[in-house]
Amino acid sequence: MTHTQKRIITNKIVMFLSTLSALVGISFLLWILSILVINGIDALSMTIFTNGGAPPGNENGGLKHALIGQLMLFAYASLFGVPLGILAGTYLSEYGLKSKLAETIRDISDIMMSAPSIVIGAFVYAIVVAPSGQFSGWAGSIALMIIMLPIILRTTDDMLQLVPSTLREAAFALGAPKYKVIIQVVYRGAKAGVLTGVLLGVARVAGETAPLLFTSFNDNFLNTDMSQPMASLTVTMYNYATSPYEDWQKLGWAAAFILSMFILTLNILGRLFLLKKRGK
Amino acid sequence: MATIVDIATEKALEVKNFEFTYAGADEPNIKKLTMPIAKHSITALIGPSGCGKTTLLRSFNRMHDLYPGNKYGGEILFKDRNILGSKEDLIKLRTQIGMIFQKPTAFPMSIFDNVAYGLRLQGLKNKTELQDRVEKALQDAAIWQEAKDRLRHDANGLSGGQQQRLCIARAIAVEPEVLLFDEPTSALDPISTAGIEELVVELRKRVSIIIVTHNMQQAARVSDYTGFMYLGELVELGRTEELFVTPKEKLTEEYITGKFG
Amino acid sequence: MSAIIDKIFANATKFIAIGVLLLVAWIFTVLFEHSLESIEAFGFSFLTETKWAPNLEKFGALPAIYGSVVSTFLAMILAVPLAIGVAIFLSEIAHSKIKTPVGVSIELLAAIPSVIYGMWGLFYFVPIIRDIFGGIGISMLTAGIVLSIMILPFMAAVTRDAMNTTPDILKESAYALGGTKWDVVKDIIIPYAKAGIIGSFILALGRAIGETMAVTFVMGNVHKISADLTQPATSIPVTLANEFAEADSGLYYSSLFELSLLLLVISFTIISIAKFYFLRRKRIGQ
Repeated sequence: MTHTQKRIITNKIVMFLSTLSALVGISFLLWILSILVINGIDALSMTIFTNGGAPPGNENGGLKHALIGQLMLFAYASLFGVPLGILAGTYLSEYGLKSKLAETIRDISDIMMSAPSIVIGAFVYAIVVAPSGQFSGWAGSIALMIIMLPIILRTTDDMLQLVPSTLREAAFALGAPKYKVIIQVVYRGAKAGVLTGVLLGVARVAGETAPLLFTSFNDNFLNTDMSQPMASLTVTMYNYATSPYEDWQKLGWAAAFILSMFILTLNILGRLFLLKKRGK
Repeated sequence: MATIVDIATEKALEVKNFEFTYAGADEPNIKKLTMPIAKHSITALIGPSGCGKTTLLRSFNRMHDLYPGNKYGGEILFKDRNILGSKEDLIKLRTQIGMIFQKPTAFPMSIFDNVAYGLRLQGLKNKTELQDRVEKALQDAAIWQEAKDRLRHDANGLSGGQQQRLCIARAIAVEPEVLLFDEPTSALDPISTAGIEELVVELRKRVSIIIVTHNMQQAARVSDYTGFMYLGELVELGRTEELFVTPKEKLTEEYITGKFG
Repeated sequence: MSAIIDKIFANATKFIAIGVLLLVAWIFTVLFEHSLESIEAFGFSFLTETKWAPNLEKFGALPAIYGSVVSTFLAMILAVPLAIGVAIFLSEIAHSKIKTPVGVSIELLAAIPSVIYGMWGLFYFVPIIRDIFGGIGISMLTAGIVLSIMILPFMAAVTRDAMNTTPDILKESAYALGGTKWDVVKDIIIPYAKAGIIGSFILALGRAIGETMAVTFVMGNVHKISADLTQPATSIPVTLANEFAEADSGLYYSSLFELSLLLLVISFTIISIAKFYFLRRKRIGQ
């Protein structure tokens, strides 16, 4: 066999193995996706949205408490996390530029984006839960906000930097003060990108479970008081799935399905915004 | 019909009724093109951008096969066979018909390994023979003097012009019969360009050369034959000195006098 | 007036940006402060002691450290070849008609919350492991496999992105010399994208070691070091997830905080290596 024939055979083997590993990987992922959809749709019903948690064995159990809890935790986290992230990102892109301080903030944020979220839970436990003596919705929201912050900060920074400097210069040349240039020109130019960053950041946080385990904790009943322990879809999912009760497990799948669809929608929306921007 | 001059010497390649359609395109990019390529000569392909000259060039070594969905039609004869056949051994074809690109493409490895790459692919393992062939290729590509003391250094440390000569050395190391140049000096400064042009003329003794260029002066300086293409068709193929002085086709004349382009 | 607003805006954004740095410093400080009791009680032996017995107020982190290392290692061994295979498939083999849909679905799967991978592991994968290896199916091995599936989409996507940075013209040059696809992948693409590929693997490693939910379901939280991979085990995040809300003494809490600090330091180090050594940030405009 000549060397070239050997190369051709090796090539065929490796290409086969790559295709095979792609098939293996993709079939695992399809498997997960399909059980999520099958179990999720099977468990979905109107009562899930209208009824709160119920003891195991009770047919009327729903997820209303977890859905509302999730939305509240999430809304408060975004309410503070999104603007703070955007403003900090604005500093990096518009004022800090390539300064040592700005670069350090970028580096640390990059690292924090991949840091274990359960550690943030421990931190919030120490500064909020322990002093106040109880788990609370606020604690959960703060943990989510801390996780969200670096993601939004970095995407805002990147997206604002994409705005051509000639645009800024043109506005300055008309005598506009810097803050007006940023708000009226830079933000407007980077709108789609920043929105994408926000959507992806928010989506990332929506699936977080670990940092809520010992901050917002859980509540099997509807609670809208942020100073009390609060249910979330993710922690409910964890508790229900690990329970021995079949009806609870079923509700766990419904929660998983709803949450995944929500997160996928945010991701797809984010991509569409970016595509639309590129299309221009 | 195109005006095609008689080629006195043997032919390296013969393009017959060649058609090429890009994936997803309705219209062929090259239509019914017939053209001989003379052996041991330099044939330049000129024409406005989008005329299909690079598309034609990339058909000679079937580069288009790297991207799915592209379609060939007609024939390109090389060593008495049609290289467009589905059974064509592309690996062998590409060692017989080499290519130099618009930009220098030094591989992320040492100068020596760059030149030895094609030889190693063919299974050459003997160290002294590799050494000899690499040295010879570098000498033939007129870069031996600059490279000999740093053969083990990363090839990306060379200047643009040196890298392009390294790529030529890499291509001729495997001793191809035809070399395709796709605007080889478009990324280079005038001095490096002159060096590459000199080298191309020198190489004609050993290989048949086809060079795509958007620079008419370059075509006039280096080539023996020039083909003028327009909208996917060959308008005229002539001896370079004749084509630039007394073009037979009106369209050729308009192009070389700068009426369009 | 404008000038004042301008100043306020500039300083407010700066204040918030610096706040992010201070927050990170604060996280380290708080975790350290809360770890002090445990550090004083156990010192260095916290890292080497194998006994984790809350009822005896004895806390040794070695089983959790061992579990983190082994489960992550297993996950990497399984996921790296698969991720490379998927990346080669996506960047070099797949027809463009399936390249985009498969590529996008892999990216979307990377966005699915890890708690769902954990649930899948518990309900669908644990029984399989139980059938094959006996025992209860909740084990180090199960955790490693579920973790590998969880990091696969992220790893494959970033590896593909790194491979795609190789200029087409460079690949074509190698094909023009008679190279096969595999020749081009191993001689051109991998050397060209080496730093990016290794960086993304290390980044995935950093994420895997801190991953909580995908493994909590299937690991068992048993503080025992066993060479038998089919036995239940624990890891640092699994211990935290299971025990934090239930801890009942100062020392117990402090030990959990020390575990958190340890996890943060390990992840921070691994991610920093990936970021600074392999993945120098692409700066726009450079």
